[in-house]
Amino acid sequence: MSARTPLSAIALVTPVQLMIGGIILVPALYVFWLSLNQSSFGQAATFVGLANYAKVLADPYFWKALLNTVIVVAIVVHVELLIGLGMALFFASGVPFRPLLLAIVLAPYAVSEVSAVVMWRYLFEPDVGMMSRLLATIGLPPIEWAVNPSHGLAMISLLSIWLHLPFSFIILYAARLSIPSDLYEAASIDGATAWTSFRRITLPLLMPALLIAALFRYIFAFRLFSEVWLMTGGGPARSTEVMAVYLYLEAFRYNAFGSAAATGWLLVLASLLLALFYLRRLYRETFARA
Amino acid sequence: MPKSSLPRLLRHLLKLVGVLAVVAWSLVPIGLIAMSSFKSDRDIFSTTGAFSFAPTLANYQALWSRWGDFFFGLWNSLLVTAGATVLAVGVSLLAGFAYSRFASRGLQASAFFLIFIRLIPPIVITLPLFPVVNWLGLNDTHFILILLYATFFVSLGTVVMRTFIDQIPRELDEAAMVDGASQMQIIARVILPMAAQGMLAVSVFVIVYAWNEFLFAFIFTTTKAKTAPLVISEMIGAVEGVEWGVLFAASTVQLVPVLAFVILMQKHLVAGLTAGAVKG
Repeated sequence: MSARTPLSAIALVTPVQLMIGGIILVPALYVFWLSLNQSSFGQAATFVGLANYAKVLADPYFWKALLNTVIVVAIVVHVELLIGLGMALFFASGVPFRPLLLAIVLAPYAVSEVSAVVMWRYLFEPDVGMMSRLLATIGLPPIEWAVNPSHGLAMISLLSIWLHLPFSFIILYAARLSIPSDLYEAASIDGATAWTSFRRITLPLLMPALLIAALFRYIFAFRLFSEVWLMTGGGPARSTEVMAVYLYLEAFRYNAFGSAAATGWLLVLASLLLALFYLRRLYRETFARA
Repeated sequence: MPKSSLPRLLRHLLKLVGVLAVVAWSLVPIGLIAMSSFKSDRDIFSTTGAFSFAPTLANYQALWSRWGDFFFGLWNSLLVTAGATVLAVGVSLLAGFAYSRFASRGLQASAFFLIFIRLIPPIVITLPLFPVVNWLGLNDTHFILILLYATFFVSLGTVVMRTFIDQIPRELDEAAMVDGASQMQIIARVILPMAAQGMLAVSVFVIVYAWNEFLFAFIFTTTKAKTAPLVISEMIGAVEGVEWGVLFAASTVQLVPVLAFVILMQKHLVAGLTAGAVKG
């Protein structure tokens, strides 16, 4: 392959690059500039250096939001991967009506965050919801997601796991299916138990897929907004806010564009940091082709 | 398969429990609101069994008469979804072809950039876009949502298209080139028919995303272009207590077409998800 890029290739990738550049790259860079200025709607910006970052980092609500985000992301991604892995192995061990069951498992992928919130609120409506009554029957206290912040975060996590499980499941299931079955046959001849073949064959061979699924889910869970906004609105008393909700409120409710932009760049940096390992691998793979 | 020491019957029983758990987890929340949308207000929170109720269309009638906005929202969702799909699939096809057939350092760098940029959270770019969109008079238009939804999916779309086009033998486009076909003719006559699978896979993603998206619709639309999820969120936030029945009816109407679509397109969804996530 020649080192020069043919003109026709440039023409073909131009629309994609224009969209990405104009809608994502330029605005993201502009956010950085905004984060160094004091500004609001219809107000000229004045340069303030890192003052916005200092302001955000001194705001207890920001730390609360950051802590909530980290807690929710940690719960959601790990529980989701665990259930997804369990389900992938269960499917691989052979299930009846597999195509139908697969369609059923994928169903939540079609559900909007808005409808999911309606569903889970109905299930956990205090006193009258089906799950609340179930909890009461077995003698457990109800989940008071609207008044108790930790219950609210638990509901948000549950909802988020439910919505995104199809993604984790499919990645792991596809990876599990690509493991050759003779490996298991050989292990079985050697007298390996189910647990040993899981430890020695399944887990190591699934590791790359597990890592990819985990990275994608970390990055996407970190920008969590709709579930929180629709379930609790960040309340009560701003106690269930996550980073994206904090950013939204700063910008669109309190008109503090500077601190919202600073929060935005902290979000970008966190996402990049999470993705560092993946980016390095991708970088090497990409340029191996050139 | 490793030998298990569990008796056969117990294994079958465990498997049955597993299947039931999977079905319950995935379907109970969906089934419950779909079923409850046919219940009267009194039956919705009735404690005497979920299945014993006299089905009624009252919620759907109330939705029609009192929330006409919702059907307007559905129409907007349809327009925006269709527009975003056509735009995203079209530009992804062109770029996927270029990345599959040409390789140079510059091109590789732009491919890396394409995936790298996906890491930026959407909410971050709403800050500078909001005033610009306002200034351009694009606020509350279908166009801005189409552009945003398509843009956030062209990265994945291009990766998926490239994976699919990689599988089309190069000899086919080389033969067409020898016959004097231009680049665009090759794409239209040779690649397009053979990459249909990939285009379907990309469409599934964009359609599900655009139909359900909330954040951008929430920030960039107010009345003229507001989509169905936005109207449902207004119903959740209604001041005078939540009208569950009407909410269930709206959620069901919004959900059923895309659910049917996902089930129908299951194969393409799985193919696209594995191509996009594992390779990109």
